[in-house]
Amino acid sequence: MIYNQRHTIGASASSTAQQFSSCKVERRSPSSAVQKARHLITTFFGAVVLWMSCASAGAETLLLKGATVHTVSGATITNGQVLLRDGKIAAIGSSISATDAKEISLDGLHLYPGMIALNTELGLVEIDAIRATLDLKEVGEYTPDVYSWLAVNPDSELLPVARANGVSHFEPTPAGAMLAGQSGLLALTGWTTEEMVVRKSIALHVYWPRANLDTTPKERTRNPRTWKSLEEQDRERKEKLRQLDEFFAEARAYAKAKESAKDFQPVPAWEAMLPVVRGELPVTIHADDVREIRAAVNWATTNRFKMILADARDAWRVADLLASNNVPVIFNHVFNLPQRDTDDYAAQYSGPAVLHRAGVKIAFSGTGASLVKNLPYEAAQAVAFGLPAGEAVKALTLYPAQMAGVADHLGSIEVGKDATIFATDGDVLDIRSNVKRMWIGGKEVSLENRHTRLYEKYKNRPRRN
Amino acid sequence: MNGLLLCRLKLALTVVLSVLISFVTSTTQAQILPPGFRPKPLGVHALVGGRVILKPGEKIENGTIVIRDGYIEAVGADVAIPAEARIWDCKGLTIYAGFIESYFPIGQTNSPATANDDNSATANLTAGGVNFYGVPGQRSDPGARGASYEVGKISPEHRAVQDYSPNSKTIKPLRDLGFTAAVIAPQRGIIRGTSALVALAEGDPNDVILKADMFQHIAFDPQSDEERAYPVSLMGTIATVRQSFFDAQHFALNHADWQKQPHGRKRPEFNPALAALQPATEGKQRVIFEPGSALMVDRAARVARELKLDFAIVSSGQEWRRPDLARETGATFIVPVNFPTLPKLPSEEDWEQITLDQLRAWDWAAENPALLRQQNLEIALTTYSLSDKKVFRKNLKAALDRGLSETDALAALTTIPAKLCGVEKQLGTIEPGKIANLTIVDGKGYFDPESRVRDVWVDGRNYAVQPAKEVAKKDENANAEKEDKTKAEKEKKNAELKELQKKRVARGPLEGRGAIAQRPDSQPVVIISNATIWTSGSRRILTNGFMLVSDGKIQSIDSSPLNLRFNPTDRIGGGGIHITPGLIDAHSHSAILGGVNEGTLPSTAMVRIGDVINSETRNIQDQLAGGLTVANLLHGSANPIGGQSQVIKLRDGASPEGLKFQGAPLGIKFALGENVKQSNWGERNITRFPQSRTGVPTFHRNRFTAAQQYLQAWERFQRDGGLPPRRDLELETIGEIIQGKRLIHCHSYRQDEILAFLRVMEEFNVRVGTMQHVLEGYKIADEIAAHGAGASCFADWWAYKFEVYDAIPFAGALMRERGVLVSFNSDSSDLARRLNTEAAKSMKFGGVPEEEALKLVTINPARQLGIDKWVGSLELGKDADFVVWSGHPLDSRSVVLQTWIDGKKYFDRDEALKRAAERKQEREELITKAKKLKSLSGGGSGSSNESGNDGEFFRIALETEFDGVERHCMEEEH
Repeated sequence: MIYNQRHTIGASASSTAQQFSSCKVERRSPSSAVQKARHLITTFFGAVVLWMSCASAGAETLLLKGATVHTVSGATITNGQVLLRDGKIAAIGSSISATDAKEISLDGLHLYPGMIALNTELGLVEIDAIRATLDLKEVGEYTPDVYSWLAVNPDSELLPVARANGVSHFEPTPAGAMLAGQSGLLALTGWTTEEMVVRKSIALHVYWPRANLDTTPKERTRNPRTWKSLEEQDRERKEKLRQLDEFFAEARAYAKAKESAKDFQPVPAWEAMLPVVRGELPVTIHADDVREIRAAVNWATTNRFKMILADARDAWRVADLLASNNVPVIFNHVFNLPQRDTDDYAAQYSGPAVLHRAGVKIAFSGTGASLVKNLPYEAAQAVAFGLPAGEAVKALTLYPAQMAGVADHLGSIEVGKDATIFATDGDVLDIRSNVKRMWIGGKEVSLENRHTRLYEKYKNRPRRN
Repeated sequence: MNGLLLCRLKLALTVVLSVLISFVTSTTQAQILPPGFRPKPLGVHALVGGRVILKPGEKIENGTIVIRDGYIEAVGADVAIPAEARIWDCKGLTIYAGFIESYFPIGQTNSPATANDDNSATANLTAGGVNFYGVPGQRSDPGARGASYEVGKISPEHRAVQDYSPNSKTIKPLRDLGFTAAVIAPQRGIIRGTSALVALAEGDPNDVILKADMFQHIAFDPQSDEERAYPVSLMGTIATVRQSFFDAQHFALNHADWQKQPHGRKRPEFNPALAALQPATEGKQRVIFEPGSALMVDRAARVARELKLDFAIVSSGQEWRRPDLARETGATFIVPVNFPTLPKLPSEEDWEQITLDQLRAWDWAAENPALLRQQNLEIALTTYSLSDKKVFRKNLKAALDRGLSETDALAALTTIPAKLCGVEKQLGTIEPGKIANLTIVDGKGYFDPESRVRDVWVDGRNYAVQPAKEVAKKDENANAEKEDKTKAEKEKKNAELKELQKKRVARGPLEGRGAIAQRPDSQPVVIISNATIWTSGSRRILTNGFMLVSDGKIQSIDSSPLNLRFNPTDRIGGGGIHITPGLIDAHSHSAILGGVNEGTLPSTAMVRIGDVINSETRNIQDQLAGGLTVANLLHGSANPIGGQSQVIKLRDGASPEGLKFQGAPLGIKFALGENVKQSNWGERNITRFPQSRTGVPTFHRNRFTAAQQYLQAWERFQRDGGLPPRRDLELETIGEIIQGKRLIHCHSYRQDEILAFLRVMEEFNVRVGTMQHVLEGYKIADEIAAHGAGASCFADWWAYKFEVYDAIPFAGALMRERGVLVSFNSDSSDLARRLNTEAAKSMKFGGVPEEEALKLVTINPARQLGIDKWVGSLELGKDADFVVWSGHPLDSRSVVLQTWIDGKKYFDRDEALKRAAERKQEREELITKAKKLKSLSGGGSGSSNESGNDGEFFRIALETEFDGVERHCMEEEH
């Protein structure tokens, strides 16, 4: 069996009801970790962090035995043991005694912390070609008060497919013309968006104005009426940058006014900007072209914004700039075709290695909503072209957890962190490996999905020949 | 006097031989015009004291030319000047035979392509007959209005001569450059109509026509009109040209046959287009092809040879990309001197988006005319495509600086165009009896751009050329002079500028490509030992295997080392390497020039991917780097019956023909489902049949029935003789499927449509080659296996449209288990670079054993394409197409070290990185040159001419248009 059906989502309705109510209880009396997190980050909405402990309510105490434990943050333990209790990792070692724990033998398997897919369309897209199933993009260039996690379809058929390969968390990312909105981090389990959300707003998303000039000559353009000269395009791109700057300046002015004014009338869009201008919320800047990346880094540094670079096609060409400004990178373009005719065939494959060598922290991202399951293979390709394997695994787990601000409870197998772990029968970077079991917040999740169901169904179709 | 008489006799003879009947009257008597008209001058002139260039390479100093009644009467150093002659002092001037512009398309000379389109007229659907496109006519007038060819862009009956009246606005710029005659050509469409050779004189249009219906003009110009009428793709354009000529041939036969026996049978149609093509078809009228790109030069020549046409080619200015292809045509080239100039970029950073290819095109441009001469080709120079004709001479000078000789340049303006037009007895040299067309230049002569063209003589009439106003130029100079401290400095600058312009920095695109040889002089002999060899054949997996390659074939493959009598050129082995057969992609769009889809008609079986192979795309190199050696280039999936496919080997550097996999069975793309019913094309596209899955089998059955009857008609003809049937490229192709000569590769998704399709094909005893994508094929694996079709699938794509919501990554494994021959394909320029890891997914999803998993991208696709006797496995006697991997080929952490095809190394990791570094270096050097030129020329546009030509600079070559761009089945619609 390469997947298991022991714990299907619908199988335990009663335990779920219990889970739901206890979740509510827990919100009323939050754990110290929640308080700590609240202390760190607040928004207009109040509490930002919703605890994965919702899921832990149904969690058993388990002792995972016999597997190679890839802790990611520390040493790898062969024939190691991990104790899961109350949805947390309670102990890690070679021989743990826990009399209350149910022992699970995972001989020959490998344990990894759940993978985290940042900058994805998952949950917001079902079928690309059908507009009715797309919830990615809004109208307007300034919509900081658009929140992606509100529109994730918990019953999307795409979610269990990603989960079945070890992805435990994802960032549904709003797309847009410029200032698209904010994203949250969601677990790939839960009955509702509220149960899935691990952390509301992990970043504000800015799609950097295009630097690329359309050099199509007027006589060759498809639509001569909308054709613009290079000078005109240059004016426009500068103007866009000016407007972007202006918008953030206005946001700062708003924050200042709010502090001093009485009878202050809040404006949702400006309210959404507060954590950003206060430097609490990172700005994820989406930029591919090297000119855009340079400008964005410069802008973020000048304004002292916490910047994450996403998409980042050309990032490897300015690795030193990114490193010296401490900008982490979500690299989406491992499999992009080489963009310049001077690029070598492996330019994009080796991008992550170049970034790593320069000292840039990287995370990988899935390609399209339906293939987020292939996340580890983007890292594997980077390994084939120079990225150390250990770094590749970190770029799938710990680094994205850090970028999402959840590294205190996700991203590695460490005592005190969430019991979000999956077991494979081989190296996670090897396509031939299969995910055998998975726990999110200490609770085992099903690896069944639309694909496995259809496979089972038609595998069992009586033979015709 | 005797001399003069002889001269007159000669002249009379010439006149008789020529078609210039109208001039006979003017030589015999002076014409008295009614009062009020300006009287005609006498027409006897003597041009005295000039340097006369009789023909390229032959001149007389201080010569005299006598002109009488529009003809040259005498020329020489000591010619008697007739008493009645008007004397023209030509001291210090150089006199050339009048220049001939070989290609002068004039605007609005052609009727609109499709005048009367009515897509939704259902009445016409029933009224229209079935034409060669395999659709009921959707127009009341299928082509242009009135009797015409059914494709509006085919208008050979159009005659430029009927639209031409001398207009000084049009012709004066040419005369100012020294031109005295021009071939005015129609400008629109694909088969555009005939041109006319005209004297660039003003007056009665009837008087200036030297030769009507000079050439027939064909341009590979698929520029789509808004109606998206067939053809819109490059391959569709070529198919249309071929079909038109076959129709013309049949038209002649049919009419001749009918005239013999007109009674009791259907009258053949009158078709002005087909009638107009007769002279070209019979080789009596030269055809000028404008292929539009370097690669299409080759295609144009091949089409011309197939149709037995007498042809010449309009250069795209891009032949430097593939001089070999130009050389092989042996054709005369009409060569524009439209050279790109450096653009003015808004910021320094924007150099970023200037590609090496653009810089190469800029740097090569001026050398292209000389390069064509070096290929032993005759060239005629033209001002064509210059938006500002004034830059012609400056650019010509740039071409001379880059190696074109003055003699060749002069020939390219005089004798070659005269020969091209078949008027070498009237024009092109200064000889008695020839038309008195002369070009007179002062100073150092025409090839010094500073020397002014003084006069031109056209038909014995003098046209003085007004000196150009140079105000703007002076201003610029004044500014420049302010900056320059001394004159000497300026001169030094100019000299430097000149030197810089003269020297080409760019390399040819063929440099740094192609097979990498240890000893270039000999065929490689390769020994592989101490390696894990995945044979995908009977020898299974040989750990510590041995393989010997020579003459491009596998000579030995074994596990035990042999006694080696060979002295190999290459030794491969050790270090834990693995060897596999070259990978094979049964579904690729990666090396196709122009569009992938001819998506206009529901059946485009007549179009051929083989006509538009892009040998120049970097995809070939990038895919070699992933171990790919063979690709099945497929038409897109826009129609139930798509175009003909082409299997290629990735022999980088070879010509399009050289890439073709010789012996591979023919193929064709079919498609089912959402694409063919235009589900995602928007609401504008709701009238083409079919619009639902119910109509798709209906359509297929219809065309196969038609093809069956077409085959029967030919059988009858072969048996009984008589009038041959009209050759129909669509039905002929479908007929080949019925005859078992052509494999169908059918894009498909849902199980119901797949079954319906298989059943229709079975009605015609056709076994389908492969179902492509076949995403729900796992639901009917037994039926597919029973039919015997292969399944060529994606490893794991799904959910991008509704019909793939049920696609599962287990599909390949499931179908394989039930006996279907399964392969994994890419349908993507990216995935084609890593088919090995796609294959590995079958191990994960469905537990395919590793040896079998690799076969999904080696022997299985080879079998599906019918090429398994040559490739797909490593076995004795097969082609030596193999890949050297750093480790296990199904491990995503392994990389390709080398890729070999036909026993030659086409990819080597280190070499590839080195070549990329060289390209980078070359780009840097070109940018340095460009920036230096800019600064030397005072920050202006900077290159070889003053008026900017950014448009040409930013032109993206067809060959590189899609580099770095993912291409899919439906790309045209997105």
